[in-house]
Amino acid sequence: MTAPFPNRPRADAREKVMGAARYGADHQVAGLLYAMQVPATIAKGRIASLSVNAAMQVPGVIRVLTSTDFLPPPPAAPGAPPPPATLTTDIAYRGQPVALVVAETLEAAIEGAEAIRPTYTVAPAFTSLIEQPGMVREAVKSVTAGDATRAMARAVTRHKADYVSPPQHHNPIEMLSTTAVWENGQLTIFESTQSSSNTKGAVMRSMRLTPEQVTVKSPQIGGGFGQRGGAQRQTALVARAAMLLGRPVKLVLPRGQIFHNATFRPKNRHRIEIGADASGKMIAVRYDADQQQSREGQFPPDYHESVPMLYGIENYHGTAANLRIDTQAPGYMRSPTPHPSCFAFESAVDELALKLGVDPVAFRLRHRATTDPIHGHKLSSCYLSECLTEGARRFGWERRSLQPGSMTLPDGTQVGWGVASGAYPGSAHPNIVTLRVNADGTTRFAAAGHEMGQGIRSTIEQVLVRELAIDPLKLEIAIGDTSVAPQHTTAGSWGTASVVPAAAEAAANLNAAMAELLAGRQVAGNLHRQLATVRRPSLQVKVEHVAVDQGPKDLATLRKGGMALVGPDYSTFTTYSYIAHFVEVHVEPGTRRVRVPRVVSIADCGRVISPRTAESQVRGGVIWGIGAALREATEVDPRYGGWLNNDLADYVVPVNADIGSIDVGFIDRPDPLINALGAKGLGEVAMTGCAGAIANAIHHATGKRLREMPFRIEDLL
Amino acid sequence: MPDMEHLLGVPLTRRTALGGTAALTASGLISESDPAVAAPLRKPVGTRLAIRTTVNGKAVPVEIDVRTSLLDLLREQLHLTGAKKGCDHGQCGACTVHVDGQRVASCLTLAAKVDGRAVTTIEGLADGETLHPMQQAFIDHDALQCGYCTPGQIMAAVACVREGNATSKDRIREYMSGNICRCGAYVGIVAAIEQVAGRGKA
Amino acid sequence: MRPFTYARPKSAVAAVRAFTAAGAGARYIAGGTSLYDLMKLDIEKPQHLIDVTAIRGLDAIETGGERLRFEALAPMSAVATDKVVLSDYPVLAEALWKAASQQLRNMATVGGNLLQRTRCLYFRNGAGGTSVGNTYPCNKREPGSGCAAIGGLDRGQAVLGQSSSCTAVSPGDWPVALVALDAYVEVLGASGSRAIPIAELYRLPGSTPNLEFTLQPGEMITAIVVPKTKAGRHSTYHKIRDRESYAFALASAAVALEMDGDTVTRARIALGGVATKPWRATTAEALLAGKPLTPATALAAGHAAFADAKAGKQNGFKIDLGARTVADALTIAAARNRS
Repeated sequence: MTAPFPNRPRADAREKVMGAARYGADHQVAGLLYAMQVPATIAKGRIASLSVNAAMQVPGVIRVLTSTDFLPPPPAAPGAPPPPATLTTDIAYRGQPVALVVAETLEAAIEGAEAIRPTYTVAPAFTSLIEQPGMVREAVKSVTAGDATRAMARAVTRHKADYVSPPQHHNPIEMLSTTAVWENGQLTIFESTQSSSNTKGAVMRSMRLTPEQVTVKSPQIGGGFGQRGGAQRQTALVARAAMLLGRPVKLVLPRGQIFHNATFRPKNRHRIEIGADASGKMIAVRYDADQQQSREGQFPPDYHESVPMLYGIENYHGTAANLRIDTQAPGYMRSPTPHPSCFAFESAVDELALKLGVDPVAFRLRHRATTDPIHGHKLSSCYLSECLTEGARRFGWERRSLQPGSMTLPDGTQVGWGVASGAYPGSAHPNIVTLRVNADGTTRFAAAGHEMGQGIRSTIEQVLVRELAIDPLKLEIAIGDTSVAPQHTTAGSWGTASVVPAAAEAAANLNAAMAELLAGRQVAGNLHRQLATVRRPSLQVKVEHVAVDQGPKDLATLRKGGMALVGPDYSTFTTYSYIAHFVEVHVEPGTRRVRVPRVVSIADCGRVISPRTAESQVRGGVIWGIGAALREATEVDPRYGGWLNNDLADYVVPVNADIGSIDVGFIDRPDPLINALGAKGLGEVAMTGCAGAIANAIHHATGKRLREMPFRIEDLL
Repeated sequence: MPDMEHLLGVPLTRRTALGGTAALTASGLISESDPAVAAPLRKPVGTRLAIRTTVNGKAVPVEIDVRTSLLDLLREQLHLTGAKKGCDHGQCGACTVHVDGQRVASCLTLAAKVDGRAVTTIEGLADGETLHPMQQAFIDHDALQCGYCTPGQIMAAVACVREGNATSKDRIREYMSGNICRCGAYVGIVAAIEQVAGRGKA
Repeated sequence: MRPFTYARPKSAVAAVRAFTAAGAGARYIAGGTSLYDLMKLDIEKPQHLIDVTAIRGLDAIETGGERLRFEALAPMSAVATDKVVLSDYPVLAEALWKAASQQLRNMATVGGNLLQRTRCLYFRNGAGGTSVGNTYPCNKREPGSGCAAIGGLDRGQAVLGQSSSCTAVSPGDWPVALVALDAYVEVLGASGSRAIPIAELYRLPGSTPNLEFTLQPGEMITAIVVPKTKAGRHSTYHKIRDRESYAFALASAAVALEMDGDTVTRARIALGGVATKPWRATTAEALLAGKPLTPATALAAGHAAFADAKAGKQNGFKIDLGARTVADALTIAAARNRS
């Protein structure tokens, strides 16, 4: 059932290299109008006056929507977060939309939006930084295993330090956009979203429409990284404009407005203490984390997910808190909490190993996790030790000298080798899939899922092509569309594990149905040929697949477009993916630039379904780690609020010249419990720990321990 | 408007009643003098300019608003959506096209400037169903993930080889740094360009 | 963006005439990589654009005579790949190819690049247009409104040449290299043509940071002239950024050396990324004259270049970084002398 999969090209690569793939703003509709948001220019307060006259004077502008054009927020619905606010007169953050200008052309919409300069009643005070007065601290439930206080007391070697990760923005290259078409009482939304279901639910409730009236289509996403996981504020604005005007409306948000309206990774802080016993094994962790949060935000400070799953440390006490200030809501950004927590913890582990005088790989290998200490379950699979061992072998780790600052090149460049581990929760959702094989040579598979670069179509194709005698070139994979299958949010690295088992089940059922149809007759050729021979135009199966521990209730939640997740702590086991990163850094002697010429990353994601796209996923994760460690931070001037460096020139993401060699390997052993194929998640564990490996490598190169990201030139001068 | 009331499930106010009506003014709900609703468009928008350009080998006479960028002309008027908007300020490279054979950022190119010049976009790169070698190399090396920056990457890559800037890994990296790939496909992109440069054609 | 009229004159004289005829609100546009960008940010609001790129015969690159002469409309990418520039003036080639991206260098002209405006975040992101929505006081954008960068996030701000009105960095690379080589520009205006030493093209912010250049209204740059010097071969443009490429300088140094063996007979040093205009480091040049170039003298020259520097809250590192950048640039240039 679960032999290794072959290395096949990416399923939708051809349409992507031809520029034919359709992203959110690429859909052609007749009679299109263009919209532009007017952003608030204060951090907090109220609109005092908003005149649309100047905008209406602009030739081509046909309407300006303001707060009075919208229905009040819908009544609360059980189990669903409220949809994003529409246009309101209260301003909660800088850049919040205060009006939407709709025009015949994009140029006119922009000119019209620029002509609107509302006056505001500015709030007497606002809080833009967690270090400022006005911040409200709100602790959440702590996470405990064993007795960390007692164990820490008997530890003979301890390390304690603080680590910090800054605010960051996802910045997928595709901008946020919405195209809304209102026709015959039907609303169709074209929008790149990781959650067409969520977007549908939100716009439906905001507009008081029925499920039958709303379709959301998101066939290709130009990068998600979590930014498109929730409903966006602009969707209902554009939908409303289309409904009011009876013509299709498109809005593409300028990058600066995206910085201010999309979610972001909040600043987060970590105070970590680790204790080791006389044998040099870690026995206790005390870990206090907190994070920046908006006044109403719900992004949970789950900083104690991954760390307890790395090394089987039995005594753990973790606290966490939200620090509420005036900002837009933070949210999930690639490896949301595991990235910063593994950066912090894996830096601390490195510091402890150094204190003990032990090689950091050997030190980690002393600790093999077999159980989840928080929930008391066994780990369904954990090959972190194998990742570390294989990574060390490929990297040539045995040639590393233990002493920091001991490896230099002839020109004085300091060389550092660092290692760190990462773990990421393994979750899944149900999937209602339809598989139809046609006599004309085509096949169509419809399911819940969204393609945002991770290659979900490739994983589906792998399974279908292996299990079914079909023509792979004529296989259509319909996902991200609420009209083809009930959709679920695709995030949290649960996409593959939530669709490939359903695809496998559908394929098996289809083969069985074919056998039944043929009733023992021997018919030559592939399934298409066989159908043609027996004069059947098509054969279709539908599968309602649920994940471990799930049942009809979860299917019902999926049908309603809700979150129907299970994991990583299942009823009898816990599932995480793992990775080990090995990083070489070079630090210039003079101007202290840090380069990363070489990375080796070995991942345990269970069975690798699509080797080629999986490798790309890990390389991308490593580049995100490099970006986070060395480049990316969104800056706030507390006098003004909002974000100062709100473009791609000043929010510094890695470019091609920043990236050297990235060697990727997989353990590729199926998880025995998580699903029939043994596939765990990959997209986020790929990033997790990488920043820690860079911090550790910089320390090894220079002897300087950097604990607050990003590490910039000034930190090493 | 009984149907609308049923649809919305809320009592109608003047504003909320407007939803979904195709002919607003005809419905009598909005007067022409309503400051928030303009009369239907009767005159062209902005300063108009007639230009004659060639796009992917075809002569394209087109009238533009003089403010229009080449990117918006391609995407919104000519419906060539291969070139992408990622920043609109020359900071990402997703909008890269060729003008007279040279790669440019179409978002910072006034459309007026391509009057009399030849534009090539990703849609004009393949020879019918036969991919350009660079497109094939991008597939071979999985030099893409989400694919959004890919048209710009490929147009830049073709130019990079043509310019003679694909002579080493480091040089490719430098000369491809104007195209940001947030998914992080840089390793594959460099390998794809090396493959094509090694063959000596692009 | 506001509507504007658009003209594409075929000669420089016609362009100047068109500018004069258009009156207030007229602007020349060449590649547009800076001006059109700022129009999208609602910072520049020209009423009349005079596109100079249709002017014939204004893009020549002449390297054969006594001087290097680059006509204003030559693309940055073309000058960067000129054979003589590459071999005999690496400081010029590097200043060009280390700027922006190849796409932008194909569009941008060597003349237009001289007039690029600052990347100060408070300047660019504060106009309140739709691109951003931020509003910040900025004396450069709105004279008299104040300077948000002073007392704000100033990591990127200047440490040399700033005033109590403005600390915005002069963003260019190419002008820095030209300042080091004592280039001048030829300009054409309604009252004829004149030459301006490149260093005099730029103003210090003083109390009028909105006035950045010494060009008169309607004057356009038609050519850049660089006196030939044998120091050109022993030169470099060293640029330190927050990433390896496609970024503006945190600190940069244009260096050209005349040497006798290991001894510097004459050094030319100019600084970028750290000052409010392309900055000639004359003190550092003087310090090196007649001295052997060693790591110690190179670093001493670097520090001398920043002797008058003043730091804000976060940009103090630029003083140290700048000094080291100069030192490394001197070492690179000297190595080219030996090779």
